[in-house]
Amino acid sequence: MIILGIETSCDETSVAVVKNDSLAANLISSQYFHKNYGGVVPELSSRAHLQIINPLVKSALEKSSIQLDDIDIISATAGPGLIGALLVGLTYAKGLSLSLNKKFVAVNHIEGHIFSGFLMKEKPEFPFICLVVSGGHTLLLLVKSFTEIYKLGSTVDDAAGEAFDKVSKLIGLGYPGGPKIQKAAEKGDPNRINFPIAELKEPYNFSFSGLKTAVLRYVQQQGGIQKIDEQHIFDIAASFQSAVIKALIQKLKKAIGNFDVKSVSIVGGVAANSLLKEKAEQLSSKYNLKLVIPSLEFCGDNAAMIAFRAKTLFENGITHDLNYKPYPSLDENSFLSL
Amino acid sequence: MNFPCERISHSEEETKLIAEEFLSVLKPGDVVVLNGDLGTGKTFFIKKITEALGITKANSPTFAIVNEYESGQDTRIYHFDFYRINKVAELHDIGLEDYLADDEAITFIEWGELFPEVLPHKRYEIKIEEVSNEQRKFRFNKFT
Repeated sequence: MIILGIETSCDETSVAVVKNDSLAANLISSQYFHKNYGGVVPELSSRAHLQIINPLVKSALEKSSIQLDDIDIISATAGPGLIGALLVGLTYAKGLSLSLNKKFVAVNHIEGHIFSGFLMKEKPEFPFICLVVSGGHTLLLLVKSFTEIYKLGSTVDDAAGEAFDKVSKLIGLGYPGGPKIQKAAEKGDPNRINFPIAELKEPYNFSFSGLKTAVLRYVQQQGGIQKIDEQHIFDIAASFQSAVIKALIQKLKKAIGNFDVKSVSIVGGVAANSLLKEKAEQLSSKYNLKLVIPSLEFCGDNAAMIAFRAKTLFENGITHDLNYKPYPSLDENSFLSL
Repeated sequence: MNFPCERISHSEEETKLIAEEFLSVLKPGDVVVLNGDLGTGKTFFIKKITEALGITKANSPTFAIVNEYESGQDTRIYHFDFYRINKVAELHDIGLEDYLADDEAITFIEWGELFPEVLPHKRYEIKIEEVSNEQRKFRFNKFT
Protein backbone atom coordinates (compact mmCIF):
# COMPACT_ATOMS: atom_id res chain seq x y z
CA MET A 1 0.00 0.00 0.00
CA ILE A 2 1.33 3.42 -0.99
CA ILE A 3 0.10 6.58 0.72
CA LEU A 4 0.74 10.16 -0.36
CA GLY A 5 0.58 12.71 2.46
CA ILE A 6 0.27 16.46 2.02
CA GLU A 7 0.63 19.02 4.81
CA THR A 8 -0.03 22.75 4.31
CA SER A 9 -1.61 23.84 7.59
CA CYS A 10 0.72 26.74 8.33
CA ASP A 11 4.16 27.88 7.17
CA GLU A 12 5.60 24.64 5.84
CA THR A 13 4.57 22.83 2.70
CA SER A 14 5.38 19.15 3.06
CA VAL A 15 4.83 16.04 0.96
CA ALA A 16 5.53 12.47 2.05
CA VAL A 17 5.22 8.98 0.65
CA VAL A 18 4.66 5.96 2.90
CA LYS A 19 5.35 2.72 1.05
CA ASN A 20 3.99 -0.32 2.88
CA ASP A 21 5.37 0.20 6.35
CA SER A 22 8.28 2.45 5.57
CA LEU A 23 8.71 6.11 4.87
CA ALA A 24 9.98 6.59 1.31
CA ALA A 25 10.03 10.39 1.26
CA ASN A 26 9.34 13.29 3.60
CA LEU A 27 10.09 16.59 1.89
CA ILE A 28 9.60 19.86 3.73
CA SER A 29 9.51 23.16 1.82
CA SER A 30 11.97 25.10 3.96
CA GLN A 31 14.63 22.47 3.40
CA TYR A 32 13.63 22.10 -0.25
CA PHE A 33 13.80 25.83 -0.85
CA HIS A 34 17.09 25.88 0.94
CA LYS A 35 18.62 23.26 -1.28
CA ASN A 36 17.13 24.40 -4.56
CA TYR A 37 16.86 28.13 -4.25
CA GLY A 38 19.89 29.00 -2.15
CA GLY A 39 18.22 29.66 1.16
CA VAL A 40 15.14 31.58 0.12
CA VAL A 41 12.74 31.40 3.01
CA PRO A 42 9.20 31.27 1.68
CA GLU A 43 6.92 34.03 2.86
CA LEU A 44 3.95 33.39 5.02
CA SER A 45 1.25 32.80 2.44
CA SER A 46 -0.94 30.31 0.72
CA ARG A 47 0.54 31.44 -2.59
CA ALA A 48 3.86 30.07 -1.42
CA HIS A 49 2.17 26.70 -0.81
CA LEU A 50 0.61 26.90 -4.25
CA GLN A 51 3.96 27.54 -5.92
CA ILE A 52 5.81 24.74 -4.20
CA ILE A 53 3.25 21.96 -3.90
CA ASN A 54 3.49 20.56 -7.42
CA PRO A 55 7.30 20.42 -7.66
CA LEU A 56 7.37 19.00 -4.12
CA VAL A 57 4.96 16.17 -5.06
CA LYS A 58 7.05 15.42 -8.17
CA SER A 59 10.24 15.29 -6.11
CA ALA A 60 8.61 13.04 -3.52
CA LEU A 61 7.49 10.60 -6.23
CA GLU A 62 10.96 10.58 -7.79
CA LYS A 63 12.59 10.03 -4.45
CA SER A 64 10.24 7.10 -3.75
CA SER A 65 10.72 5.72 -7.28
CA ILE A 66 6.99 5.57 -7.93
CA GLN A 67 4.52 6.96 -10.47
CA LEU A 68 1.39 8.90 -9.57
CA ASP A 69 -0.75 5.92 -10.49
CA ASP A 70 1.05 3.65 -8.00
CA ILE A 71 -0.48 5.59 -5.12
CA ASP A 72 -3.35 3.87 -3.29
CA ILE A 73 -4.41 6.57 -0.85
CA ILE A 74 -4.14 10.33 -1.07
CA SER A 75 -4.24 12.24 2.19
CA ALA A 76 -3.96 15.84 3.31
CA THR A 77 -4.28 17.93 6.46
CA ALA A 78 -7.82 19.31 6.79
CA GLY A 79 -7.24 21.38 9.96
CA PRO A 80 -6.65 23.05 12.26
CA GLY A 81 -4.58 25.75 10.58
CA LEU A 82 -4.69 28.78 8.37
CA ILE A 83 -7.73 28.31 6.13
CA GLY A 84 -6.13 29.59 2.91
CA ALA A 85 -3.09 27.42 3.45
CA LEU A 86 -5.17 24.35 4.30
CA LEU A 87 -7.27 24.84 1.19
CA VAL A 88 -4.21 24.56 -1.07
CA GLY A 89 -3.14 21.14 0.20
CA LEU A 90 -6.62 19.76 0.73
CA THR A 91 -7.94 20.84 -2.67
CA TYR A 92 -4.80 19.58 -4.39
CA ALA A 93 -5.22 16.19 -2.71
CA LYS A 94 -8.90 16.00 -3.54
CA GLY A 95 -8.22 16.89 -7.18
CA LEU A 96 -5.55 14.21 -7.38
CA SER A 97 -7.89 11.70 -5.77
CA LEU A 98 -10.66 12.51 -8.22
CA SER A 99 -8.48 12.38 -11.32
CA LEU A 100 -6.64 9.20 -10.31
CA ASN A 101 -9.75 7.60 -8.81
CA LYS A 102 -7.97 6.81 -5.53
CA LYS A 103 -9.20 6.80 -1.95
CA PHE A 104 -9.01 10.10 -0.07
CA VAL A 105 -8.34 10.53 3.65
CA ALA A 106 -8.55 13.91 5.44
CA VAL A 107 -6.25 14.14 8.45
CA ASN A 108 -6.46 16.24 11.60
CA HIS A 109 -3.06 17.93 11.98
CA ILE A 110 -3.01 17.34 15.76
CA GLU A 111 -3.78 13.65 15.28
CA GLY A 112 -0.84 13.60 12.88
CA HIS A 113 1.40 14.93 15.66
CA ILE A 114 -0.11 12.58 18.26
CA PHE A 115 0.95 9.50 16.28
CA SER A 116 4.24 10.92 14.98
CA GLY A 117 6.07 8.75 17.54
CA PHE A 118 5.12 5.76 15.39
CA LEU A 119 7.49 7.04 12.69
CA MET A 120 10.34 6.15 15.04
CA LYS A 121 11.98 2.74 15.42
CA GLU A 122 10.91 2.65 19.08
CA LYS A 123 7.18 3.30 18.99
CA PRO A 124 4.75 4.27 21.76
CA GLU A 125 2.67 1.48 23.28
CA PHE A 126 -1.04 1.92 23.93
CA PRO A 127 -2.38 3.36 26.10
CA PHE A 128 -0.11 6.37 26.24
CA ILE A 129 -0.13 9.94 27.48
CA CYS A 130 0.69 12.37 24.71
CA LEU A 131 1.93 15.92 25.18
CA VAL A 132 1.62 18.00 22.01
CA VAL A 133 3.80 21.11 22.29
CA SER A 134 4.39 23.39 19.33
CA GLY A 135 4.22 26.99 18.19
CA GLY A 136 0.47 26.79 17.74
CA HIS A 137 -0.68 24.09 20.15
CA THR A 138 -0.23 22.78 23.68
CA LEU A 139 -2.39 19.76 24.51
CA LEU A 140 -2.34 16.84 26.90
CA LEU A 141 -4.10 13.68 25.74
CA LEU A 142 -4.82 10.11 26.73
CA VAL A 143 -4.46 7.89 23.67
CA LYS A 144 -5.93 4.39 24.02
CA SER A 145 -5.75 3.27 20.40
CA PHE A 146 -5.58 4.70 16.89
CA THR A 147 -9.27 5.56 17.17
CA GLU A 148 -9.61 6.53 20.84
CA ILE A 149 -8.11 9.88 21.75
CA TYR A 150 -9.20 11.76 24.86
CA LYS A 151 -8.23 15.37 25.41
CA LEU A 152 -7.29 15.97 29.05
CA GLY A 153 -6.36 19.61 28.74
CA SER A 154 -4.90 22.35 26.59
CA THR A 155 -3.56 25.87 26.80
CA VAL A 156 -6.08 28.53 27.69
CA ASP A 157 -4.04 31.27 26.00
CA ASP A 158 -0.60 31.05 24.37
CA ALA A 159 1.01 27.85 23.13
CA ALA A 160 4.33 26.85 24.72
CA GLY A 161 6.25 27.44 21.48
CA GLU A 162 4.63 30.83 21.10
CA ALA A 163 5.83 31.78 24.59
CA PHE A 164 9.38 30.81 23.54
CA ASP A 165 9.13 32.97 20.40
CA LYS A 166 7.68 36.00 22.14
CA VAL A 167 10.05 35.92 25.11
CA SER A 168 13.00 35.38 22.79
CA LYS A 169 12.08 38.53 20.88
CA LEU A 170 11.50 40.36 24.16
CA ILE A 171 15.01 39.65 25.45
CA GLY A 172 16.64 40.34 22.10
CA LEU A 173 17.49 36.77 21.10
CA GLY A 174 15.32 36.73 17.98
CA TYR A 175 13.64 34.03 15.92
CA PRO A 176 13.21 31.08 16.18
CA GLY A 177 12.72 31.34 19.92
CA GLY A 178 13.04 27.65 20.84
CA PRO A 179 16.65 27.02 19.81
CA LYS A 180 17.78 30.60 20.68
CA ILE A 181 16.47 30.40 24.24
CA GLN A 182 17.77 26.89 24.73
CA LYS A 183 21.26 27.96 23.64
CA ALA A 184 21.27 31.06 25.86
CA ALA A 185 19.82 29.06 28.77
CA GLU A 186 22.77 26.66 28.67
CA LYS A 187 24.98 29.52 29.90
CA GLY A 188 22.45 30.85 32.43
CA ASP A 189 21.29 30.21 35.97
CA PRO A 190 17.72 28.81 35.98
CA ASN A 191 17.29 29.70 39.66
CA ARG A 192 18.14 33.39 39.41
CA ILE A 193 14.58 34.57 38.72
CA ASN A 194 11.51 32.88 40.08
CA PHE A 195 9.03 33.21 37.20
CA PRO A 196 5.49 32.09 38.04
CA ILE A 197 3.84 28.86 36.97
CA ALA A 198 0.12 29.39 36.35
CA GLU A 199 -2.29 27.77 38.78
CA LEU A 200 -5.45 26.76 36.91
CA LYS A 201 -8.78 25.34 37.98
CA GLU A 202 -8.68 22.62 35.34
CA PRO A 203 -5.98 20.11 36.36
CA TYR A 204 -4.55 19.49 32.88
CA ASN A 205 -4.78 22.93 31.35
CA PHE A 206 -1.83 25.20 30.63
CA SER A 207 -1.36 28.96 30.57
CA PHE A 208 1.76 30.73 29.31
CA SER A 209 0.49 34.26 28.78
CA GLY A 210 1.14 35.28 32.39
CA LEU A 211 4.68 33.93 32.23
CA LYS A 212 5.37 35.99 29.10
CA THR A 213 4.04 39.09 30.88
CA ALA A 214 6.17 38.30 33.95
CA VAL A 215 9.31 38.24 31.79
CA LEU A 216 8.26 41.54 30.17
CA ARG A 217 7.70 43.12 33.58
CA TYR A 218 11.04 41.82 34.85
CA VAL A 219 12.82 43.35 31.83
CA GLN A 220 11.03 46.67 32.44
CA GLN A 221 12.02 46.62 36.13
CA GLN A 222 15.67 46.35 35.11
CA GLY A 223 15.22 49.53 33.07
CA GLY A 224 14.76 47.87 29.67
CA ILE A 225 16.67 45.36 27.60
CA GLN A 226 19.57 47.80 26.90
CA LYS A 227 20.40 47.93 30.63
CA ILE A 228 20.69 44.15 30.99
CA ASP A 229 24.11 42.55 30.55
CA GLU A 230 24.70 39.35 28.58
CA GLN A 231 24.96 37.02 31.57
CA HIS A 232 21.73 38.44 32.94
CA ILE A 233 20.01 37.67 29.58
CA PHE A 234 21.28 34.10 29.81
CA ASP A 235 19.85 33.88 33.34
CA ILE A 236 16.46 35.22 32.20
CA ALA A 237 16.43 32.70 29.33
CA ALA A 238 17.33 29.85 31.69
CA SER A 239 14.79 30.90 34.34
CA PHE A 240 12.05 31.28 31.73
CA GLN A 241 12.83 27.97 30.06
CA SER A 242 12.85 26.25 33.42
CA ALA A 243 9.39 27.68 34.27
CA VAL A 244 7.88 26.48 30.95
CA ILE A 245 9.35 23.01 31.28
CA LYS A 246 8.27 22.79 34.95
CA ALA A 247 4.69 23.60 33.94
CA LEU A 248 4.72 20.99 31.18
CA ILE A 249 6.29 18.29 33.35
CA GLN A 250 3.96 19.07 36.27
CA LYS A 251 0.86 18.36 34.16
CA LEU A 252 2.47 15.38 32.46
CA LYS A 253 3.26 13.91 35.87
CA LYS A 254 -0.31 14.42 37.04
CA ALA A 255 -1.65 12.63 33.96
CA ILE A 256 0.80 9.74 34.34
CA GLY A 257 -0.22 9.37 37.98
CA ASN A 258 -3.93 9.34 37.21
CA PHE A 259 -4.06 7.01 34.23
CA ASP A 260 -2.73 3.52 33.81
CA VAL A 261 -0.52 3.92 30.76
CA LYS A 262 2.39 2.07 29.18
CA SER A 263 4.19 4.96 27.56
CA VAL A 264 4.58 8.69 27.19
CA SER A 265 5.06 10.53 23.93
CA ILE A 266 6.07 14.17 23.55
CA VAL A 267 5.52 15.57 20.07
CA GLY A 268 5.56 18.89 18.21
CA GLY A 269 8.32 21.46 17.72
CA VAL A 270 8.97 22.13 21.42
CA ALA A 271 9.68 18.39 21.91
CA ALA A 272 13.10 19.21 20.44
CA ASN A 273 13.95 21.15 23.64
CA SER A 274 16.75 19.32 25.45
CA LEU A 275 15.69 20.34 28.98
CA LEU A 276 12.18 19.00 28.30
CA LYS A 277 13.73 15.77 27.01
CA GLU A 278 15.94 15.45 30.08
CA LYS A 279 13.08 16.08 32.55
CA ALA A 280 10.74 13.77 30.64
CA GLU A 281 13.36 11.02 30.72
CA GLN A 282 13.68 11.37 34.50
CA LEU A 283 9.91 11.28 34.90
CA SER A 284 9.30 8.30 32.65
CA SER A 285 12.09 6.25 34.15
CA LYS A 286 10.75 6.97 37.64
CA TYR A 287 7.34 5.63 36.58
CA ASN A 288 8.91 2.87 34.51
CA LEU A 289 7.29 4.04 31.30
CA LYS A 290 8.56 3.99 27.76
CA LEU A 291 9.27 7.51 26.46
CA VAL A 292 9.01 8.30 22.77
CA ILE A 293 10.08 11.69 21.41
CA PRO A 294 10.22 11.82 17.61
CA SER A 295 13.41 12.99 15.93
CA LEU A 296 13.67 16.61 14.76
CA GLU A 297 12.37 15.77 11.26
CA PHE A 298 9.07 14.51 12.71
CA CYS A 299 8.73 17.04 15.57
CA GLY A 300 8.07 20.03 13.35
CA ASP A 301 5.23 20.13 10.83
CA ASN A 302 5.74 17.35 8.29
CA ALA A 303 3.71 15.25 5.87
CA ALA A 304 5.12 11.91 7.03
CA MET A 305 2.92 12.09 10.11
CA ILE A 306 -0.07 12.95 7.89
CA ALA A 307 0.52 9.98 5.58
CA PHE A 308 1.04 7.67 8.57
CA ARG A 309 -2.15 8.92 10.26
CA ALA A 310 -4.05 8.41 6.98
CA LYS A 311 -2.77 4.83 6.90
CA THR A 312 -4.07 4.07 10.40
CA LEU A 313 -7.43 5.70 9.61
CA PHE A 314 -7.74 3.68 6.39
CA GLU A 315 -6.85 0.49 8.27
CA ASN A 316 -9.71 1.30 10.65
CA GLY A 317 -12.11 1.63 7.76
CA ILE A 318 -12.10 5.43 7.59
CA THR A 319 -11.92 7.30 4.29
CA HIS A 320 -13.53 10.61 3.34
CA ASP A 321 -15.74 12.08 0.64
CA LEU A 322 -14.41 14.71 -1.72
CA ASN A 323 -16.74 17.32 -0.25
CA TYR A 324 -14.73 17.26 3.00
CA LYS A 325 -14.09 20.85 4.15
CA PRO A 326 -11.05 22.35 5.86
CA TYR A 327 -11.50 23.60 9.43
CA PRO A 328 -9.43 26.43 10.95
CA SER A 329 -9.89 25.64 14.64
CA LEU A 330 -9.63 22.52 16.72
CA ASP A 331 -13.22 22.03 17.80
CA GLU A 332 -13.93 20.41 21.11
CA ASN A 333 -15.27 17.34 19.33
CA SER A 334 -12.96 17.13 16.36
CA PHE A 335 -10.88 14.23 17.70
CA LEU A 336 -11.94 10.72 17.05
CA SER A 337 -14.04 9.28 19.87
CA LEU A 338 -14.32 12.47 21.84
CA MET B 1 -20.83 53.18 26.26
CA ASN B 2 -20.19 56.50 24.48
CA PHE B 3 -17.10 56.93 22.33
CA PRO B 4 -14.36 57.87 22.89
CA CYS B 5 -14.12 56.71 26.47
CA GLU B 6 -11.75 55.20 29.02
CA ARG B 7 -12.08 52.43 31.55
CA ILE B 8 -9.62 51.36 34.23
CA SER B 9 -9.53 47.74 35.33
CA HIS B 10 -7.94 46.64 38.60
CA SER B 11 -8.62 42.94 38.25
CA GLU B 12 -9.48 40.17 35.79
CA GLU B 13 -13.04 40.28 37.11
CA GLU B 14 -13.29 43.98 36.31
CA THR B 15 -11.85 43.39 32.83
CA LYS B 16 -14.60 40.84 32.28
CA LEU B 17 -17.23 43.48 33.16
CA ILE B 18 -15.64 46.00 30.79
CA ALA B 19 -15.57 43.37 28.03
CA GLU B 20 -19.26 42.66 28.56
CA GLU B 21 -20.10 46.35 28.51
CA PHE B 22 -18.24 46.76 25.21
CA LEU B 23 -19.85 43.62 23.75
CA SER B 24 -23.28 45.17 24.26
CA VAL B 25 -22.53 47.80 21.57
CA LEU B 26 -21.21 45.28 19.01
CA LYS B 27 -23.27 44.05 16.06
CA PRO B 28 -22.50 41.50 13.34
CA GLY B 29 -20.25 43.05 10.68
CA ASP B 30 -18.28 45.12 13.19
CA VAL B 31 -14.49 45.23 13.20
CA VAL B 32 -12.59 45.78 16.45
CA VAL B 33 -8.89 46.61 16.43
CA LEU B 34 -6.90 45.99 19.62
CA ASN B 35 -3.58 47.70 20.15
CA GLY B 36 -1.23 47.49 23.10
CA ASP B 37 2.17 46.09 23.98
CA LEU B 38 2.97 42.44 24.49
CA GLY B 39 1.40 41.20 27.70
CA THR B 40 -1.16 43.98 28.15
CA GLY B 41 -4.00 41.50 27.69
CA LYS B 42 -5.36 41.86 24.14
CA THR B 43 -6.10 38.14 23.84
CA PHE B 44 -7.47 38.09 27.39
CA PHE B 45 -9.93 40.89 26.60
CA ILE B 46 -11.18 39.08 23.47
CA LYS B 47 -11.42 35.88 25.47
CA LYS B 48 -13.72 37.62 27.95
CA ILE B 49 -15.92 38.95 25.12
CA THR B 50 -16.18 35.53 23.47
CA GLU B 51 -16.87 33.85 26.81
CA ALA B 52 -19.83 36.18 27.24
CA LEU B 53 -21.03 34.81 23.89
CA GLY B 54 -20.68 31.25 25.16
CA ILE B 55 -17.42 30.49 23.34
CA THR B 56 -14.91 28.86 25.67
CA LYS B 57 -12.10 27.97 23.30
CA ALA B 58 -10.75 31.38 22.27
CA ASN B 59 -6.97 31.47 22.51
CA SER B 60 -4.01 33.22 20.93
CA PRO B 61 -4.09 33.28 17.11
CA THR B 62 -0.46 34.42 16.83
CA PHE B 63 0.60 31.17 15.18
CA ALA B 64 -2.48 30.53 13.07
CA ILE B 65 -2.91 34.28 12.19
CA VAL B 66 -6.69 33.89 12.37
CA ASN B 67 -8.94 31.80 14.60
CA GLU B 68 -12.63 31.29 13.90
CA TYR B 69 -15.24 30.71 16.58
CA GLU B 70 -18.94 30.04 16.30
CA SER B 71 -21.25 30.84 19.20
CA GLY B 72 -24.52 29.12 20.03
CA GLN B 73 -26.35 32.33 19.17
CA ASP B 74 -25.13 32.09 15.57
CA THR B 75 -22.49 34.78 16.00
CA ARG B 76 -19.35 34.07 14.04
CA ILE B 77 -16.11 35.53 15.35
CA TYR B 78 -12.88 36.05 13.43
CA HIS B 79 -9.92 36.59 15.72
CA PHE B 80 -6.85 37.91 13.88
CA ASP B 81 -3.34 38.61 15.08
CA PHE B 82 -1.02 40.69 12.87
CA TYR B 83 1.98 40.14 15.17
CA ARG B 84 3.64 37.57 12.90
CA ILE B 85 2.76 39.28 9.61
CA ASN B 86 5.73 40.64 7.68
CA LYS B 87 4.06 42.50 4.84
CA VAL B 88 0.64 43.56 3.58
CA ALA B 89 0.76 41.07 0.69
CA GLU B 90 0.51 38.26 3.24
CA LEU B 91 -2.75 39.68 4.58
CA HIS B 92 -4.21 39.97 1.08
CA ASP B 93 -3.14 36.42 0.46
CA ILE B 94 -4.79 35.17 3.63
CA GLY B 95 -8.00 36.78 2.34
CA LEU B 96 -8.39 39.50 4.97
CA GLU B 97 -10.83 41.42 2.72
CA ASP B 98 -13.13 38.40 2.55
CA TYR B 99 -13.19 38.06 6.32
CA LEU B 100 -13.86 41.78 6.76
CA ALA B 101 -16.66 41.65 4.19
CA ASP B 102 -18.56 39.02 6.20
CA ASP B 103 -21.58 40.94 7.53
CA GLU B 104 -22.55 38.12 9.84
CA ALA B 105 -19.31 38.03 11.78
CA ILE B 106 -17.55 40.21 14.31
CA THR B 107 -13.85 40.54 13.54
CA PHE B 108 -11.20 41.24 16.18
CA ILE B 109 -7.70 42.23 15.11
CA GLU B 110 -4.81 42.17 17.56
CA TRP B 111 -1.82 44.36 16.64
CA GLY B 112 -3.96 46.07 13.97
CA GLU B 113 -1.76 49.18 14.21
CA LEU B 114 1.05 47.30 12.47
CA PHE B 115 -0.87 47.51 9.17
CA PRO B 116 -3.20 50.52 9.41
CA GLU B 117 -3.62 50.60 5.61
CA VAL B 118 -5.68 47.41 5.56
CA LEU B 119 -8.08 48.38 8.35
CA PRO B 120 -11.60 49.39 7.33
CA HIS B 121 -12.44 53.02 8.02
CA LYS B 122 -15.50 52.04 10.03
CA ARG B 123 -14.14 50.30 13.09
CA TYR B 124 -13.72 50.30 16.83
CA GLU B 125 -10.27 50.73 18.32
CA ILE B 126 -9.21 49.69 21.77
CA LYS B 127 -5.85 50.72 23.14
CA ILE B 128 -4.79 48.79 26.21
CA GLU B 129 -2.10 50.20 28.47
CA GLU B 130 -0.52 48.76 31.55
CA VAL B 131 -0.90 51.26 34.41
CA SER B 132 0.70 49.01 37.00
CA ASN B 133 1.12 45.31 37.57
CA GLU B 134 -2.59 44.46 37.78
CA GLN B 135 -4.11 47.68 36.46
CA ARG B 136 -5.03 48.20 32.83
CA LYS B 137 -6.32 51.30 31.08
CA PHE B 138 -8.68 50.69 28.13
CA ARG B 139 -9.22 53.51 25.66
CA PHE B 140 -12.18 52.92 23.37
CA ASN B 141 -12.66 54.78 20.12
CA LYS B 142 -15.15 54.51 17.31
CA PHE B 143 -14.51 55.51 13.69
CA THR B 144 -17.51 55.88 11.43
